[in-house]
Amino acid sequence: MKEVWKHIEPEHLYFCYECSRCTGSCPAAMVLDTPGPRRILVSCLYSGPNAVTGEESLWYCTTCHVCEDRCPQELHIVELLTALMNVAAARGNIPDKIRAVTDKIARTGRSVITYRVDEERARFGLSPLAQINVEEVEALAARTGLFEKVKT
Amino acid sequence: MAQPEKKKKPQTQGLRIGVYVCHCGLNIGGVVDCRAVAEYAASLPDVTLAVDSMYTCSDPGQEQIKADILEHDLNRVVVASCTPRLHEPTFRAAVGEAGLNSYLLEMANIREHCSWVHLHDKEAATAKAKDLVRMAVARARLLAPQTEIVVPVTRRALVLGGGVAGIQASLDLANAGYKVGLVERSGSIGGRMAQIDKTFPTMDCSICILAPKMSEVGRHRNIELMTLSELESVEGYVGNFKVKVRQRPRYVTDKCTSCGDCVAECPQLAPNDFDAGLSTRRGIYIPFAQAVPSTYLIDMDMCLNKEGIVACDKCYQACQHNCIDFSQKDEIHHLEVGAIIVATGMDVYDPTPLTEFGYRKFPNVITSLEFERLINAGGPSSGRLIRPSDGRSPEKVAFLQCIGSRSFRSNVYCSSICCMNTIKDVLLIKEHWPETEVSVHYIDIRAYGKGFEELFRRARMEGVQFIRGLPGEIIENYKTRNLTLIGEDTLQGTIYRKEADMVVLSVGVEPRSDSEVIQRMLNLSQAADGFLLEAHPKLRPVDTPVSGVFLAGCVEGPKDIRESVTQASAAASRANILMAQGQVSVEAITARVNEDLCTGCGLCAAVCPFKSIRLEGEGKDKKAVVIEASCAGCGTCAAECPFGAIEQRHFTDAQILSQVQAATEVEPERLVVAFCCNWCSYAGADFAGVSRMQYPTPVRIIRTMCSGRVSTKFIAEAFLRGAAAVLVSGCHIGDCHYINANLHTEKRVRKLWRRMEKGGLDPNRLQLAWISAAEGNLFAEKINQLAQIVAKVTPAEIERSREYFKPKKK
Repeated sequence: MKEVWKHIEPEHLYFCYECSRCTGSCPAAMVLDTPGPRRILVSCLYSGPNAVTGEESLWYCTTCHVCEDRCPQELHIVELLTALMNVAAARGNIPDKIRAVTDKIARTGRSVITYRVDEERARFGLSPLAQINVEEVEALAARTGLFEKVKT
Repeated sequence: MAQPEKKKKPQTQGLRIGVYVCHCGLNIGGVVDCRAVAEYAASLPDVTLAVDSMYTCSDPGQEQIKADILEHDLNRVVVASCTPRLHEPTFRAAVGEAGLNSYLLEMANIREHCSWVHLHDKEAATAKAKDLVRMAVARARLLAPQTEIVVPVTRRALVLGGGVAGIQASLDLANAGYKVGLVERSGSIGGRMAQIDKTFPTMDCSICILAPKMSEVGRHRNIELMTLSELESVEGYVGNFKVKVRQRPRYVTDKCTSCGDCVAECPQLAPNDFDAGLSTRRGIYIPFAQAVPSTYLIDMDMCLNKEGIVACDKCYQACQHNCIDFSQKDEIHHLEVGAIIVATGMDVYDPTPLTEFGYRKFPNVITSLEFERLINAGGPSSGRLIRPSDGRSPEKVAFLQCIGSRSFRSNVYCSSICCMNTIKDVLLIKEHWPETEVSVHYIDIRAYGKGFEELFRRARMEGVQFIRGLPGEIIENYKTRNLTLIGEDTLQGTIYRKEADMVVLSVGVEPRSDSEVIQRMLNLSQAADGFLLEAHPKLRPVDTPVSGVFLAGCVEGPKDIRESVTQASAAASRANILMAQGQVSVEAITARVNEDLCTGCGLCAAVCPFKSIRLEGEGKDKKAVVIEASCAGCGTCAAECPFGAIEQRHFTDAQILSQVQAATEVEPERLVVAFCCNWCSYAGADFAGVSRMQYPTPVRIIRTMCSGRVSTKFIAEAFLRGAAAVLVSGCHIGDCHYINANLHTEKRVRKLWRRMEKGGLDPNRLQLAWISAAEGNLFAEKINQLAQIVAKVTPAEIERSREYFKPKKK
């Protein structure tokens, strides 16, 4: 529990009265099988973060912040979800897909394959996307310990 | 309150003070060591007797004080217990009954300002309680007996607002035999209740039960009904208010038979407010069929005739009774009243900012007030439920609860009526069109009142779906104008997409957007949510801090009709008590001039917010004279006088300075001396206590009636005695209980800031804060902030300020 509260103040999260406007607003919950922000928040508060850090669906959050925008109690739901993802990652609890993306960032500096984008851009007479300094990304990842967490 | 007057001059010799330290059960006793405080009090000079008791305000507690006064010949009484705002009258009465002048009582607030705000530091709280008792004893030594003046009460009342609360209050008072002036802003009385179709939980027709009351008001010989009228100004005080009411012209005389011939001819159209904008009305109109007075009126904003130029006379031509009169002008009514009842009502929340629900974007998303008009037989659709987009009857209707309530994005409070209103609405749909599919999306259903739960059960039995959890958003099919709700059913844990033909947003109740106008004119207090504040939430729920002014209906907080009517009758009863007595005694805290010292400079007269000081005489004989009946007792004059020639009774310089001196006796270098005005900041500090907001202990509060009483002398004395910081605190600018006396507070503090800066002192050590009675959190915050300032004040800095504020010998 403490690991999570290092990142976010728990107090105001207890304001939640479960109106579930967050889940109703969540684009991930609309298309994927996920408990949604409300259930993650509530199980985290009442059963502890362990109840949710193992869930792959935690990682479906794209941090679009719509839930936060609409929350009548103005809870920082995305901060909580990010904190939970951090805790999960620290325990090596990272879904394979996320590992793959991290790997891609490490190698190319980008999370997606861009040759298609460059082809499209060429059609409109635009120059290819700028090269990314991969060494810099690596250095950053090394300093934040990202790779170690992903590898384990 | 008449009391036997003891013709004793205040004397420092022969003082016999009795100190009573109250445990208040565990409220004080659980934190403060009351026995130790009493023992400490006994050691103070002039204290004859000091005891602790479980509940000093109880009968045995009061009896003990009375017995001790007689037995020990006490001539001053100090009670250390709760806030004087609660029990000062109680103890004054007790002291008075024992034959002592009731102004020889002093209270130390060791509950709201001590035990409740320092729950976790018992030692420091006990030390603080001792300090507070020492301060009270110091002041008690200098108290003098006072005689209250009695003023007559005008037996006539003013009621502001002609909704159901105002109607009920007016009728009650009028039937009790008083003349009543009823002021209504719109063209007819009736208010919100007239707009509603049915009432819960009995499903009575709203206008059917209201209309008889409305016409009773219209024909009552004791009620002077002023529609299209607004309060212009209020002067005076309890029992003797002088009120100005501005009545806008109707342009139709009362010969009008409401035949309606004029309406057909009028070329101008406007949205009809009464139908929540769902229909139109003409420039000449009657608000609704049952309106009282039943007279048409012309909306000059719409009429083509402006500034006396007649460009169109179609209504005039159509009227067979010659009732149209374009020459009517604003009329000013001057009223003298003894009591005022404020029943100005509420607004409904406008859900446009909640863009995810698409109100105003999707035509079939409507508010609950619009729904009321749609389902009302007198409404735009003659009671047929239709969708605004195509006039078709909806097959699926969804209701969304808590719109604009219980949210930091709109209003934080529960509007309390929307749950039952929705349940009533769904039953109306089921009653008329049983095949309609109705769902209610809620967070919590609050069916708390008499008959409410039964109605809720009935709605469930009718097959209404109650779905827990609000949808996150509503999307619209732009072709069919049908709506889809996307959300989670939190009880099932499933995410749904639900079709609806029509969505009703159950909107909450808000204070009137311009309720501040009334609040300022009458010097009332406003809670943080914008509703007007009652004098005490439990025991004086219809009184205001201003005596003679009472609250009824939604102006005080969200209420249903039954509660509004109950409160209106209560307010009428309170006003009746005041007027039936025919006189009222005014606290003996008015200003007095010492003619020997007065130079006739007129500074006091210039700052008096009530213009209660006159200069009389010429040349050397020119002296200030206080008009006692209109002096409200703020003490601003006393703080302004450079010669000490004008004093506020019961709040004299000597009394307040003695409190400052007593407060700074122990460890002044870590202390904040706080001056708080009785109406806002002291009450705000009380509120912090009631809410158990914790703040640091080293603050000693001194009560003045107004922050305008705080003389620079007091602040200088605190610094001279080595206080680390001083807080001067009053009502927000514009909200001053004494019109604008706090402007002088600001002026004085600014002056002192400049002086401190020049003298090389840190002006941060003197803080000025505007804290209202509802802002306990702000008070606690301010003290926390001051604690940080105090922590940074060095002994050298304190020494410098002591040196600086040393009185210069002339």
